[in-house]
Amino acid sequence: MMNTRVVITGLGAVASIGIGKDAFWDGLRSGTPGISPLCAFDTSKHFTHNGGEVKQFAAGKFIDEEKLHTMNRATHLAVASARLAVADAQFTTEQLSNFIVGVSHGTTLGAAQAIEGVDDALVHTTVVSADLFRQMPPHTAPAEIAREFKCTGPHFMVSTACAAGNYAIAHAYDLIRFKRADIMLAGASDGISRIEYTGFNQFSAVAPERCQPFDKNRRGMIPAEGAGMLVLESLENAVRRNAPIYAELLGYGLSCDAHHMTNAAVDGITACIRNALRDAAISADDVDYISAHGTGTRANDRAECAAIRDVFGDRYRSIPVSSIKSMLGHTMGAASALEAITCALVVKNDILPPTINFETPDPECDVDCVPNQARHHVVKIALNNSYAFGGNNASIVIGKFLQ
Amino acid sequence: MRNVVITGIGVLSPIGIGKEPFWDALAAGRTGFRPVTLFDTSSFRTNIAGEITDFDPLALLGKKGLRDLDRSTRLLCSAAKLAIEDGKLEITGEKTHTTGVAVGATYGSLHSISQFDRTAIIEGPRAVNPSHFPNTVLNSPASQVSIRFNIKGFNTTVSTGFCASLDAAAYAADFIRLNRADAVLAGGVEELCEETFMYFHALGYLSGADSSTASCCPFDARRKGTILSEAAAVLVLEDEQTAAQRNAAVLARFRGYANAFDPSAKENFHGTGAGLKRAVLLALEDASLAPEDIDYICACSNGSPELDRTETAVIKSVFGSHAYATPVSSIKSMVGEAYSASGALALSAAVGALHRNLIPPTMNFQLQDPECDLDCVPNKAKQHRVQNVLITAVDPYGQSSAAVLGK
Repeated sequence: MMNTRVVITGLGAVASIGIGKDAFWDGLRSGTPGISPLCAFDTSKHFTHNGGEVKQFAAGKFIDEEKLHTMNRATHLAVASARLAVADAQFTTEQLSNFIVGVSHGTTLGAAQAIEGVDDALVHTTVVSADLFRQMPPHTAPAEIAREFKCTGPHFMVSTACAAGNYAIAHAYDLIRFKRADIMLAGASDGISRIEYTGFNQFSAVAPERCQPFDKNRRGMIPAEGAGMLVLESLENAVRRNAPIYAELLGYGLSCDAHHMTNAAVDGITACIRNALRDAAISADDVDYISAHGTGTRANDRAECAAIRDVFGDRYRSIPVSSIKSMLGHTMGAASALEAITCALVVKNDILPPTINFETPDPECDVDCVPNQARHHVVKIALNNSYAFGGNNASIVIGKFLQ
Repeated sequence: MRNVVITGIGVLSPIGIGKEPFWDALAAGRTGFRPVTLFDTSSFRTNIAGEITDFDPLALLGKKGLRDLDRSTRLLCSAAKLAIEDGKLEITGEKTHTTGVAVGATYGSLHSISQFDRTAIIEGPRAVNPSHFPNTVLNSPASQVSIRFNIKGFNTTVSTGFCASLDAAAYAADFIRLNRADAVLAGGVEELCEETFMYFHALGYLSGADSSTASCCPFDARRKGTILSEAAAVLVLEDEQTAAQRNAAVLARFRGYANAFDPSAKENFHGTGAGLKRAVLLALEDASLAPEDIDYICACSNGSPELDRTETAVIKSVFGSHAYATPVSSIKSMVGEAYSASGALALSAAVGALHRNLIPPTMNFQLQDPECDLDCVPNKAKQHRVQNVLITAVDPYGQSSAAVLGK
């Protein structure tokens, strides 16, 4: 029953560096920075002003005009990513109806923009529209995706903060192996949020200009937005319909630091990676690439590199470890979903995205971070790491598809 | 595949704190509705809710580490503590890595989020207290359970609204079935606060919002909406063999579960029938049981005109002639609608029904609705042999979930 192989057959990316899998991959390969001055809200009283906003996103391209006002930004991004992923998997909505299709979605903030809208109205004692209230629950994003594609299968929403994308993909993997669904739309979304931006500012965690993971002079993370969606299905299903296969999902591992709400713990991360390797039935020697959580904060990068040293021993400096957050900023719950898309494209194309903005090596983060330039590298197995507030960790293992 | 059993329960509800007091209150048909004291209700047309008025976090959790925790987190940590004690669960050594946490919490603490944001609007972003920021993430209550009780296996927050804690329990059961964990604290939490009250008030879910007297009377022809409440409930789900090895008292068996989505669902539970029907059928299949094997249905009906009608119709459609022979009661007539926590409360009540062979009543029942004509166990608990219980949950955005517990 649980021997079902799960493959990735569709990718939908909505990010500051590109919308759609091809534009996103071009952006990653060319090391495109996606950070710019924020327009979504007033940052004049914050310490920093930059973010990873998806400025070229036009929700109306993906969602009926009359429905737009019933959804918040995170849901707009989510539905768009799902639409892109379904099209990329060469499905029409009609074809999808022949299968049991489920949705597994993740988020950090849920419908933060709706909550912020209500807060504005409460402070300025104006009337809150019913539309705004309707958008408030975080699970409106997966609900709208399921409505859009008439999905009647298993439905799941996880809000494990900045590891939510990996959690959502991991659960979809189990659902397919349990044969509860033929096809899962699995991913995550977060819209740029004032609450989040203010919080990280007050933590002095936001870099003023750019995100520089693993660099000795790194100054922090950069809040961003985006959505990533993957079409997952059983290998049997994919073969039967002659689907394009990007990669195979080989397993996942979770762990919890049980240590601190905001400071990562090295042993929690190592436990998570080891759980993922065991679940995928591979050894540390089999990993060819690590997509780092790599937020660009001093504490995160140091803990992650220490954990990689612990798990991979002598090999740790020969495994490329890059952070696409150097380009996108931190897209919160969406981050690990976009990074999972990246890993699928890495094993498909044998090209590694760089860590941009890298200038000065940090002896405490002396991994090969693929500095500044994409690189050709044969990758059979990629490890996608994510860590969140609350010490909620999740790693997934993505492998090159081999018959 | 491993079997999953329930070996501990911790409940904080408007009608009782602790497993036995909660079951006693259900048996006695006690209701937990009273005027809200937690926030100013003058801008609302009703001031009645299921507030937990006898909650003493200091007594339950001690002083250490309590200061920065919001109400949701305090409620959930308290429920986890009661569940660990009830299950005599020891989370030490290797067990810290084989134990997990799965919690249904849709808004985390919406009050914490909104207060943080409103302070920034009024006083400027540099005026907010950074130590309040961690409370704004939706997984904060669950994560604090891990931190407090040193649980490192995994920690997952499920945010599927009304279905959330039933889904979290099923997620936990899957982790045990798949050998990803030996024991999981599974449950849900929802705190009563101005912001969630405003949400349900504005969208027409609350009885009393038309300025009549608030009443939660599921299946009753007079029903006009539900009463919002707060609760935290945590169950210890455990691998059967692991539980046997430590001689744990087994309270019930987690037999099956399923969920489904209905894309045609509309606000206030309109059109959710097809999803619920599919979820119930698949849950019975997952449990390898026929409708005749179900002795009690712990319903999600909450006094909403459409939900109660839909649930009744679905039960009739799935159970056929057996529907009228199956007691179907709503504990929400006593505990109110605890949103994300309601599934965990229902699971806790279902375990009580199995344990005591006693079916909790549907209180406030006066006027029969021809469209809700099943045996709702009106106003008085009923002795009845209970081997298997079906528990349902429906979310107005389209999801339905169903779980089956057995002796």
